[in-house]
Order: sequence, then structure tokens, then C-alpha cells
Amino acid sequence: MTAESVIDVRETRVRAGGRTILAVDGLSVAATEFVAVIGPNGAGKSTLLKTLVGIQRAAGTVRVLGRAVGNLTAGGLARLRRQIGYVPQVLAERSELPLTLREVVAIGRTGIAGLGRRLRRDDWRRVDEWLERLGLARLAGQAYSNLSGGEQRKGLIAKAMVQGPDLLLLDEPTANLDLAWRERIVETLESLFRDVPVTVLLVCHDLEVIPACCGRLVLLEDGAVAADGRPADVLTSDRVARLYGTHLELLHRRGRYIVVPQGNETP
Amino acid sequence: MSMELGFWAPVVVAGALAGASTGMLGVYIIGMRIPFLGVCVSHAALAGAVFGSLAGLTGQALLVPALVAALATALALGLADPRRMRADVNVVMGLLFTLTMGLAFLGVGLFPRFGRSASEAFGLLWGSLTFCSWRDVALMGPMTAVEIGFVLLFYKEMRAVMFSREHAAAAGVRVTLVWTGFLILASIVLTVNFKIVGGLMIYSLMANPAAAAFQLVRGHGRALLLAVALGTVSGVGGFLIALVAELPTGATIVILSSALVGAAALAARVGRAFRAAGGR
Repeated sequence: MTAESVIDVRETRVRAGGRTILAVDGLSVAATEFVAVIGPNGAGKSTLLKTLVGIQRAAGTVRVLGRAVGNLTAGGLARLRRQIGYVPQVLAERSELPLTLREVVAIGRTGIAGLGRRLRRDDWRRVDEWLERLGLARLAGQAYSNLSGGEQRKGLIAKAMVQGPDLLLLDEPTANLDLAWRERIVETLESLFRDVPVTVLLVCHDLEVIPACCGRLVLLEDGAVAADGRPADVLTSDRVARLYGTHLELLHRRGRYIVVPQGNETP
Repeated sequence: MSMELGFWAPVVVAGALAGASTGMLGVYIIGMRIPFLGVCVSHAALAGAVFGSLAGLTGQALLVPALVAALATALALGLADPRRMRADVNVVMGLLFTLTMGLAFLGVGLFPRFGRSASEAFGLLWGSLTFCSWRDVALMGPMTAVEIGFVLLFYKEMRAVMFSREHAAAAGVRVTLVWTGFLILASIVLTVNFKIVGGLMIYSLMANPAAAAFQLVRGHGRALLLAVALGTVSGVGGFLIALVAELPTGATIVILSSALVGAAALAARVGRAFRAAGGR
């Protein structure tokens, strides 16, 4: 682990249901890197994020922000998590939830404010500031459950950002969104990374959602790191063909990737 | 009249306290989609009371084993990790519910061996609002005060836990601590209310005021205040209607609280239609 490493995973194994679902021999992420983790379903992408925040127990060495996750007490783990903005996959719809968007975003300040203490004016100022920055201010008083999927997703990113995190972990933040909302989320991630000194680990299925600012791709296959490097080096035509099929072409335009189906050209 | 007032005054106060305390609890129970918690805790308390009775305890002393059983169940729920067990919290509650119900019925089955009737067993836990005394109110008052204190102290943590335990934990909230504390509180509030005012009424006061409040207002604090108000209105109003119309108290309270949910849903719908018409 180098002095600047925010994430350092060594010889790490996660087993579930009698099989190994994560087997990472070495993965380091330096401060203020933007790393996208890609791979097919069941590759272990979400498990990797859960391991980093200590939700998933793992054998081996997992160090995040200089602390060994497996050795932390409950209090130590809570303190570490306050430095990590973790956006899990989307919640199931719950129409009966009475919370407003502003209250949901304020959950990001709850742990930081301390157990049994009220949120201070400065905490609410941060909440309002991030609602404004992400274009959600007009929805602040709306019931969270009444918002669209894209608005809810942005709200969860705001919740993570009000923590003032050193590390942002995003688990498929564009899943099930239409094209317009997908692009809004990608733009949000790009502007966040440009304006805030934060290390980002983005888990995604679709290559189209990898922002232009992403400087490194990690490809997971069967729980192991199959490739790690600059996007252009990882996304070779051989690898794309092996992962997604030979009938697809990968285009690279203005730093973004587009997968184009070639179809059956024979009449 | 003054004697009648003196007779009914503790009943009215108990109705108000039962409505307020369970209405407040209901905001979290319904908000977290765990209405089964009430059934689970009440049967654990019944099992405790049954075995307490078999051990020779009587009257208010039965609250002790009932509370111990309810608390043990709540702690088992709090400590169980649904993710590791690969089961939703409602499934875990279902397992505990059947286990505690089995224990309760086992105890009831042993009653004849001790020369007592099985029907006597159910009377151990399920009280009636009509027979509430100042002694009962003296138990419910401090319990409600403790509940208010817990909600005020852990207001923001409970808001986070209600949203999602996973999201709250990810934001560094001490979820296990707060969640277990809430389950202990819930088991005390539900057991005391079951013992004093009865099961049917408590189930409805736990769910209906919160469900009505969620129809009408947005926000954690507003939902809490409205649920407490609607719970109190249901408890006191239902009792007064029952008294005047000479109807069964518990059933009238249940019907009134259910009617309030219907009225709230209607009002919310009319409000939405009104806003939509105004927006055009």
C-alpha cells in the first residue's frame, strides 16, 4: 500500500452459498482517482463495495482510508463510514414513507452530528447547499417516495455528498433510468469529481455510463480482477467480444464509450 | 354524575395515553413496514404471562414475565442479522411469532393440570379499557414519557433507520444500538398496552393513526404529531361514542380509527384533485 492509497485490498476472499464470490489478490486506489468497476452480473462488483464499507465480511486485508476494515469495532466502523459516501443500489418502492427529500439527504449528516444530538444549523446549511448544487432545491419539501427514480437517485448522491466524504462509492447509480436521467447522473458525477477533491469508485454494468473523467477501469470476472488499467487498455475489442458477444462494436467518442449492436448482416 | 366522572376519568386518560403511545410507535412500525412486530411481541408477552401464571404469579405481577418474554423476543430480533440469515426481518418475526405462540399454547395446555381453565389464560394479558383504573394510568404515564424521551433523544437516528437500516448504517449511524433500543421500547409499550387496554384496540391504534397521518402530511415530525393526535382522538373519541351509544368500547375505537384512515385517504385525494385543478 502506498502512502496515498485510499483503498488497498490484498488476498481478499468472500464466500457465500458454498462458493467464492470475491477473490481479489491486489487492488489499490489512490486519492482523487476516478475508478469504474465493470463486469457481468455476479462478477462481485457490489460485493466489493460492501466489503469496503464493512457490510460484507471478508477474509484477507481490506484497508480503507488507512484503516483495516476487518479489525474495526462497531464504533470504529461507524466512524470510517462517516468518511465514505456510499450509495447502495436503489431501494424498493415504499409509498408509505413520510420523509421529505430534505430529510432523506440529512441522513448523511446524522452519524457525523453524533448519537443523540440534534442536527445543527451548519448541517442543514450543507444539506440545502447540496440540494441546490444537484438541482433538487425545488423538490426539497416533497415526499421522497413521490419523486421519480432519477430524482431519488440524485437525492441519494446528495445524501452521500453532505457527509463531505473522502471516498465516494456508487453502486450502479444509473440502473433502470431512462436515457435523459442516465445522462443527468453521469453529468452530476463528472461535475462532482471536477469540483470536489474526492476519490470515486463507480460500479456499473453499462459501458455507456462511464464518465469521460474516469481514468481507470477495473474489470471483475467471477469475483477476480481480470483487467486493470486505462479504459482504452482494458476495453480491447477481444475483451469486449468475450464479455458481451462478437456482434457488438465499441465506439469511443469524446471520452465516452458507446456499444453498438452490429446485427446480422446476412440477408 | 361526579361519581360517574370519577369512575370514567381514568378510562379516558388511559384511552388517550394508549392512543398517543401506540400512535407514535406506529409511525416507525408502519414506516418500516413491520406491522407484524405487534403480533410477534404480543404473543411472546402472552407466553411469558402464561408461564408466569403457572409459576404462581397473579395480577400486575404477571407483567414481569410478560415483559421479560417480549424483551427477549425484541432483543432476538435486534441481534438477528437478516442478511446473514438470508431472510427478511418479517420472516424472522414470523419464525419468532410461531415459536412464541407455540410456547404460549403449550403453557395454556398445561393449565388444566394445575386445576385451572384454559380460557383464564388469555385473560392474563388481554385487558379492557373499560376497566382501567388510576393504578393502570400510573403505569402508562411514565411509559409514554419514556417513549417520548426516546423519540426526542434519537429523533434523527430513528428518521434514518425508518428510511433504511442499510443506508443509515452506510452513513455511520449506530443502527444496531438504535434499532435494538427501539425494539425494546416497542415491546414495553405494546406489552403494557395489551395488558391494560386489550389487544384488538392496540393493533388498530398501532397501524391506523400512522396510516392516516401518512396520507395527510409530509415529514417525520409532522407525521409523528398527527399520528399522536389521531391516536388520542381514536382512543378518547371511540370510548365516548361507545359510552353514549352503549356499544363495545374496543370495537368502537377500532372502527373510529379505521374510519379516520378512510377520511384521511379521501381528504388526500380531494386535496390532490384540487391542486391539479388549480395547476391547470
